[in-house]
Amino acid sequence: MWGDADTAIGGTGDRFPSTQISLIEAAGGEPVALERVASLYWKPVYKFIRYKFGKNNEEAKDLTQGFFASALERDFFRRFDASKAGFRTYLRLAVERYAANRHEAEGRQKRGGDIEPVELEDTVAGGGSPEEIFFQEWRRQLFALALEELRAECQGAGKLTEWAVFEAYDLAEGERPSYAALAQLHGVAETSITNYLAWARRRLRALVTERLRGVTGGARDLREELRSLWS
Amino acid sequence: MNKIFVGLIFGAILGAIDGATAWFTPDVRTMMASIMVGSTIKGMLVGLLSGWFARKVDSVQWGILLGSVLGLAFAYAVAALQQDHYLEIMLPGFVVGAIVGFLTQKMGTPAPVKRTS
Amino acid sequence: MELSDSTLRHLCEVVDQPDLSGTRYQLGEELGRGGLGVVYAAHDTQLDRSVALKVMDADWAGEARLIARLEHPGIVPVYESGVLPDGRVFYAMKLVDGMRADRFAAVGPPLGERLRVLLRVGEALAYAHSTGVLHRDLKPQNIMVGRFGEVYVMDWAVEGVGGTPAFRAPEALADQRSDVYGFGALLRFLLPEAAPAALQAIAAKAMNQRPEDRYPDVPAVLREVERFQDGLAVEAYAETWWQRARRFARRNEVLLWLLAAYAAVKFLLFFWRPG
Repeated sequence: MWGDADTAIGGTGDRFPSTQISLIEAAGGEPVALERVASLYWKPVYKFIRYKFGKNNEEAKDLTQGFFASALERDFFRRFDASKAGFRTYLRLAVERYAANRHEAEGRQKRGGDIEPVELEDTVAGGGSPEEIFFQEWRRQLFALALEELRAECQGAGKLTEWAVFEAYDLAEGERPSYAALAQLHGVAETSITNYLAWARRRLRALVTERLRGVTGGARDLREELRSLWS
Repeated sequence: MNKIFVGLIFGAILGAIDGATAWFTPDVRTMMASIMVGSTIKGMLVGLLSGWFARKVDSVQWGILLGSVLGLAFAYAVAALQQDHYLEIMLPGFVVGAIVGFLTQKMGTPAPVKRTS
Repeated sequence: MELSDSTLRHLCEVVDQPDLSGTRYQLGEELGRGGLGVVYAAHDTQLDRSVALKVMDADWAGEARLIARLEHPGIVPVYESGVLPDGRVFYAMKLVDGMRADRFAAVGPPLGERLRVLLRVGEALAYAHSTGVLHRDLKPQNIMVGRFGEVYVMDWAVEGVGGTPAFRAPEALADQRSDVYGFGALLRFLLPEAAPAALQAIAAKAMNQRPEDRYPDVPAVLREVERFQDGLAVEAYAETWWQRARRFARRNEVLLWLLAAYAAVKFLLFFWRPG
């Protein structure tokens, strides 16, 4: 998994560089919408650029910053036509255009800056095309953000046991504890475990859907994205 | 039009046509008129009975069979009256009967199904 | 928070699975994903029978209700609808035991069978149109042919889903004639390699690029196909006189044989008698 600490500048999942926030606010677009888009898409765009254009960490970060700074101006959202394509595709194409323009502008020839997918040393197992990676990262980030919201919600509402159970079971890497073990650990009945999990999953689904609503262009786009999400 | 009518009308027409073909047999040309009348009546009888049968029984095969048999029978009667031209009268009569039987099965409205109450 | 691929996969699975607690159903396997939602097999614990459950997000439930109101032998009956704890809507309907029309055609059934299926689909469509409901996404994958000859038209699409390219009419705004197009495409799909020209012509007419060049409605197409089955002339296909004569001969075979027999008898007697 991408444990590259150097991506911390945009990589902890719930925040992106403060420089970006101010640039976006300055650009004058609806700040909430822009923030939602950037917080979701920063990592996917970064990884996409790395894979699609064979850039190293620094170059990719630079390009990603540049994209969000320049592309996220007023026009970017207004030019989006929901009837033609989903927002995710629209954004990805914009990234490609931006990177190509930068490439041209800097006059770089074939020095590893070719616009072709390149195998990197620390490839994600089971690779896939840059577009697939973009989608995977997007999905991952979507869930990560929603999970953060869920955790905050649980902590705020005092649902600490619910969160603990959910985290122990659904967020477990490797082997999952049994319901019985969890029940014993937290001193509740097994049926409660079932209920906590059901509740947490329901909330997560709602949070994911809501976040998705905020970055799609209307009902149709949302429906298509939801469909891709769960398949 | 019910099946009896179909039988009568087609029996008459086909009988008349069949009778008219007697013209091709020179030695009976003089009797054309009576031949045609007789043939027409013969056809109508076959048609009447076939039509009545067709109202009760819905089967093309049986209709054709009955028509042929009736046609043959009446044709024999006519031939027997003259003691001559048995083949020329009975064979066509047989086929015409078959045609009339077929037509009464395929065309016209059958008897309505009576309710028991 | 970093999510590994496996955790992400697990979360997707587990969050998407419908929570049926509080309903009378037990979740079975996933049967398919359509434009509107996901269909699962399920067990109705009260009536002790298998059903199909279609689960969808609440926004599109209104349309589902419209479809649930349709009652026709060619349209899958809806038993119940309800809301799940997570806000999703489900409706329980008959679980059809059979195969999709694309598999049905692949088995290589005789032409009569193919047309029978087509006619049943047409009847269901005509009924739906009469109540104001369009299908919009007619294709072999949305037709089920049951084990005992039942034919069901499934997955009635609603505004916005768009249809499937090969079977979708070119015009932007869907109306009855778009379904006529889809119906024609279905006919073409069901026809075998060496299909009668008249049937191909019917399909082609139904699939005209311009809606006004197509049949006005589905019943018109049905009548055409029925005329073909009865050996009559078909509006879409201009026959040569020779084809027309052959058709006439086929329809009136018995009578023609009888007349031929008469002529043969007369001829034989004419030539044999004088001798």
